[in-house]
Amino acid sequence: MRTTARLLTGTALAVAAIGAFAAPAAYANDDSWSSNGESWSSGDENWNSGGGGHESLELSPSSASPGETVTVNTLACGKHGHGVGDANSLGAGEFQLKPSTHKEVVVGQFTVPEHVKAGSYGISVACDNGKTAKGDLWVKHRGPSGHVQTGVGGSVGPDTAQVTAGAAVLAAAAVGGVWLLRRRASGAQGH
Amino acid sequence: MSNRSKGWGIAAAACVGIWLVHNGSENVTPPVPSAAQAFAAGPSVHTDAAADPLPPSVPVRLRIPETDVDAPVTRLGLTADGALDVPPAADRNLAGWYEDGTTPGAKGTAIIAGHVDNADGPAVFYTLGALKKGHRIEVVRQDGRTAVFTVDAIEVYANKHFPDRKVYDEADRAEIRVITCGGGFSKKSGYQGNVVAFGHLIGVK
Repeated sequence: MRTTARLLTGTALAVAAIGAFAAPAAYANDDSWSSNGESWSSGDENWNSGGGGHESLELSPSSASPGETVTVNTLACGKHGHGVGDANSLGAGEFQLKPSTHKEVVVGQFTVPEHVKAGSYGISVACDNGKTAKGDLWVKHRGPSGHVQTGVGGSVGPDTAQVTAGAAVLAAAAVGGVWLLRRRASGAQGH
Repeated sequence: MSNRSKGWGIAAAACVGIWLVHNGSENVTPPVPSAAQAFAAGPSVHTDAAADPLPPSVPVRLRIPETDVDAPVTRLGLTADGALDVPPAADRNLAGWYEDGTTPGAKGTAIIAGHVDNADGPAVFYTLGALKKGHRIEVVRQDGRTAVFTVDAIEVYANKHFPDRKVYDEADRAEIRVITCGGGFSKKSGYQGNVVAFGHLIGVK
């Protein structure tokens, strides 16, 4: 009995110990993965944000065509915060983010330039409080609309060859007619 | 021959001459596709199975063997009001491809447009309206491959009722549209519509 109890206690302790070790290890692992991922994508921004990581950036619309204005908002900058947005990936430069009517959200806008190719573009925001936020904009192209202007009518016109032929036939008939009338007239005189 | 019959002969010749001049004075317009070539008339007897789409590659030349069309292909964008732009009108043997769209032979809808005529006379797609279902449209691409399409239909649309989605929407196989002017001509307002050839990829040369 004693041995059994000891064995059980020992096992329980061992399990607890493994659990105690395993759990933080797992968390640590997760952490290192995510922070790794972030440090890859953001480079030295991670230093500024003090390990705060990226918050989500809401783009509206999330899929836009050249010429369209995209509104950007995020909670990352905090109440009454400010931020600078970076839309250089698609050549739209930087833009300011300011507190919106919902005070906890900052809002900014940029316009999709005319000659951007279709595809996905990363947009990021650096807040005054050191936090950053990232999101993706999908640029799509509006297809053409309406009919095309592919003719001015230069091929439309009279069939000149046929008109010329008709005129020639008419002229010949006129000559023939005159000749016939003359002959008739001279024949009448001869009598 | 009596004078009387000579007189009748001359009168007949005069009539023929008048008819020729009158008939020839009426305007000749580009060929108009018949109703049998529209989608509404049903598929062609000879329908080729769709070929697997090719990877994207820019078109360089377009041929329609049936009507002796063989023209280089330039690139087209959109006009300020969103319509498809057209190739420069001065070149009568030039087609244009919508460069932000699908490349011919790739999955989707490749869009080609060209002039039916310019100020000097007929241009590259003057005979588009004479095409029939089953005729071939070939596009030589930059990768050296030639995408071969079969004509599924030739339709005519009035400018005011141009069906954007039917013509421009992306297909889920490799398709092509060849567009030019047509559908009647008025001296005041020009061509009244567009002729559109619809085709799908059936092979590669």
